[in-house]
Order: sequence, then structure tokens, then C-alpha cells
Amino acid sequence: MAMKRRTTILVVLGLAAAFLVALWKPTVLIYGVQQAGLYAAIAIPMGLVLGIVHIVNLAHGEFMMVAAYATYFACRATGLDPLLAVLPSAAVTALLGWVVYKLTIRRALKAPELNQLILTFGIGILLSQGVNLLFTSQTRKISLEYVSASMTIGELSFGVWPFVFVIVATAMAVGLKLFLTRTTTGKAALAVGQNPRGAAIVGIDVDRTYGLVFALAMALVGGMGALFLTRSAIFPGVGGPFTMKSFCLVAMAGIGNIPGILGASLLLGLSESFLRAFRELRGWADIIFFVLIIVVILGRSLKGRKS
Amino acid sequence: MILDVKKLETGYGRLRVLTGVDLSVGRESVGLFGPNGAGKTTLINTIMGINKPWSGVVTFDGQDIGGKATHLVARAGIALVPQERELFPGMSVADNLELGAAYVPRAAGIGKRQLDMVLQLFPILKERYRQLVGTMSGGQQRMVAIGRALMANPLLLILDEPSLGLQPSIVAEVFERLARLKKEIAILVTEQNVRESLKAIDRGYVLENGAVALRDTAEGLAKNPHVVSAYLGI
Repeated sequence: MAMKRRTTILVVLGLAAAFLVALWKPTVLIYGVQQAGLYAAIAIPMGLVLGIVHIVNLAHGEFMMVAAYATYFACRATGLDPLLAVLPSAAVTALLGWVVYKLTIRRALKAPELNQLILTFGIGILLSQGVNLLFTSQTRKISLEYVSASMTIGELSFGVWPFVFVIVATAMAVGLKLFLTRTTTGKAALAVGQNPRGAAIVGIDVDRTYGLVFALAMALVGGMGALFLTRSAIFPGVGGPFTMKSFCLVAMAGIGNIPGILGASLLLGLSESFLRAFRELRGWADIIFFVLIIVVILGRSLKGRKS
Repeated sequence: MILDVKKLETGYGRLRVLTGVDLSVGRESVGLFGPNGAGKTTLINTIMGINKPWSGVVTFDGQDIGGKATHLVARAGIALVPQERELFPGMSVADNLELGAAYVPRAAGIGKRQLDMVLQLFPILKERYRQLVGTMSGGQQRMVAIGRALMANPLLLILDEPSLGLQPSIVAEVFERLARLKKEIAILVTEQNVRESLKAIDRGYVLENGAVALRDTAEGLAKNPHVVSAYLGI
């Protein structure tokens, strides 16, 4: 199947890149893998929504940003660690996602794709500008000691904390796979993604399933918002690049292909980390995802022309 | 009566397709015939809640189901085998069958019994139990679709053109199996292949231009001059 081949290509390319980079500069490999984990953990929920609800959620990163802000103010008020906020934050964004689905997205499901894009893009602007209005564009950060923990192997010294993103991304991929293939609710969600008409005639409530899947994806990205805050500074526009990069990764992997997202993330994370290793190329790291997506689309259209 | 349709009207946009259909199904097997465009699939889709009725009444098992959402109609006990099968192509035969029963209260707790029955009816599905449905032939997919519908332990089974795209030997087989089922389940079936299906049904309706033009027993239809010239091609 085409999807399997693409997953294999992405994973092989990712691992090959990892190997080459490791031979050259191991720290670049480590930072690349850590960054890949962060990207994958944010992109997987977007892939879930695209695979089942068939909506590209251009407010994806903004949901994470809102979760990070909620966590920030909650932690400031209580003095608690953002790690403790991962689950509550997930619950809050799940609820927000459910409401947004019920009020807006479900009404656009049958609309042309462009309208859906405009809708979610608009929700994203509303969220980021809303936060900007309420809390200004000031950068906010919570300093945590364990985040700067580092490890030394031989002459190599690197930060350990960002590996948490790799663990979370892997757990997310495995957990979702198990949920979608082993539980009745998960199978029903998969069935809705493959054929909503067929799902309705066996008694599955398609609308409710869409709402649940959207809320679940927002819960995952909300949890990531709290986790993101442990390491990074936040500002109202912080989600934007993650929306774009998640979209790029999901497009590279193909609809509904979660392992493919892991492979694509590895490729993107390593490419960025590789470029950052050169002083004069550093600026390109932020837009390398554009290059990757252009290559993928070119490759696909060339293949399409051949067949 | 298990299913009672009265003065049903519906259509698409401003186009009226059904102009007042009366039809009922008891504990029996009922055929629904008619030329392309007569409104057979529209009628079935309206019973199933896929199309909304403009007016008229649809009663099933004592409750008014007219205009109800499709998943609620399915949960009430009607299982549909659609013309286009509407399976889950990226999932295995096992998962497709399992989902046929998972959300229907009538099938709760008897999944194993239904599964045994389906696999006995279509032994090929046992061989292909772990295969992805999208990789199977049209005939095998038709069997998965019928099997998925039977998993729901339906009170009424509706089949829309079950022989479409099947080779003749399999058509005969499908109808032979339907004839076996009709002792336990009420069946409503639309079919282009009138000759084969007359063997499997008790009564039939002929739908023309969105209304019932004729209703009779299977024997009566087989002898009716209009049916003979228009549908049996003799």
C-alpha cells in the first residue's frame, strides 16, 4: 500500500539522516531528536483530527498556546509546577475543543474545504489576538531547575529534560494506535474516518464521534501546552509556527498515518538542528519545513503525472 | 406489521422523487422492484433516515421513526446493506463485523452467536477473517456487508440491490442464503434481477415514478403481464 511505503521511506530517511549526523556531530543528533519529539507530540493530534474528522485545524498551535497561558497563570497563582498542570490543562482544552466543535466546526463539515480552512484560521486569530488583548504581547516564562539538568558522556554534554518530548510523542503514537485498533470506541472512530455513512448505518453517532475525537486531540495538545511551558517562553504568537510545522509534517506523512508523522518529525528536527550547527545557515532552520513540504508536494505531483 | 410506510413523500431540492408511497413489511420477505430512477433507493434511504421525509409516516416496531437520525434507526433494529456496501475498507473483516453489532442494543451480549451464524452463512469470511476489506473482491465485500448487517440481530434487514456487480453463480447463492434467513428476519429487498429474487420473496411491490404501481404475492407478480413484459423480459 502507498501509505506503508511512504511511512517506510520517511522512517528510513529519518534514520539515515540521524546516522549521518551522529557520525559528524553527536550533539546535533541529540538536539535534532529532542526537537523531533516536540514536533511529533504536537503534530500527532493534528493528524488525528485530519484522519478522522477530515478537517485541517489551523488553530491547532493556538489551542496549545491558550493551554500554556492557562497553565502559566494557574502556576503563578498557586506556585505549583507546570508538570502538575498537564492533566488539568488537557481537561480544559478538551472542553474548549468540544465547545468550538459544537458551535463552529460541525456546521462547516459539509462546506467546501476553503471555508473550513478560513474558519479554523479565524479561530486561531481569535485565540492569539484574544490572548494578546487580555495579557499583552509580553513574553512569559516559568523558570524551573530540573529543566537545565544535563548529562555528560565522554566529551559530550547535553540537556536531558527535552527528551521528555520524545517519550511523550512515542507514548502518544503507541497509545493512539492501541486506542484505535483495540477498543470499540476507537474502532468506531476509525470507521467514522473511513466511511461516515457506513458508520451511521451500523448505529455509530457520527457527529458525537467527531466531537469526541476533536476534544481528544485538543486534550493532547493542551497537555503539550503545559509541558511546553516547562522549557520555553510563551507569547500570543507562539503557537503559529507549530500550526504550520504540524501541517507540514501531517502532509508529509499522509492522512491518518501516525508512524509517518514520527518519521517526518525526525527528518524535520534533524534538518533544523543540522542547519543550526552552521553560523551562516542558522536563519534557514526556521523555514526548512517549507523546503521539505515543497519537495514532498513536487515528488507527489511528479509521481501523479507519471501514472 | 414491523414496518409501515404511509403516504411518504420526499425528494432532492425541488425535485419530488417519492409522491406518496404506501408499503408495509411483516414477518416476511418483501421485494421492491422498478426501473432505474423509480425511487427504490430513495425510499430505502428515507426509511433509514439518510434522506429526510417531506411528509408521511414511517412506523417501525411501533415507534415513529420518520426523520430520525440514521444511527438511531439502526439502533432501533433496522440493518441496511447499501448498494455501495459502505464498508470500512482499511479495517479487517473481523472489525467490520464487530462494528455491525457494537452499537445496537438488540445485539448486546449475543455477539458470539451472531458471529457464528454469519461465518456459517459465508464460510469465505472465516478464511479471510483478518484480511483488510478494501483488498477483497466485490462479491466478497457484498458478503461482508450482509454479514455486518446480520451481526446487528436486526428485526428488519433491508438489502439494496444485493446482486449488483456479482457474477450470476454468486447471485443465486446470495438469494439461496436470503431464503434461509427469511424464517427469522423480516426482509425488504430491491433488485434488478427480478427473476432470481422472486424465488426468495413472499410478496413484492413495483415502484414506478415514485409511487407503488403494483403489489402482489410472488406468484401473482410472476404471472402479471406487465411484470413479465417489463421486468422478466419474456
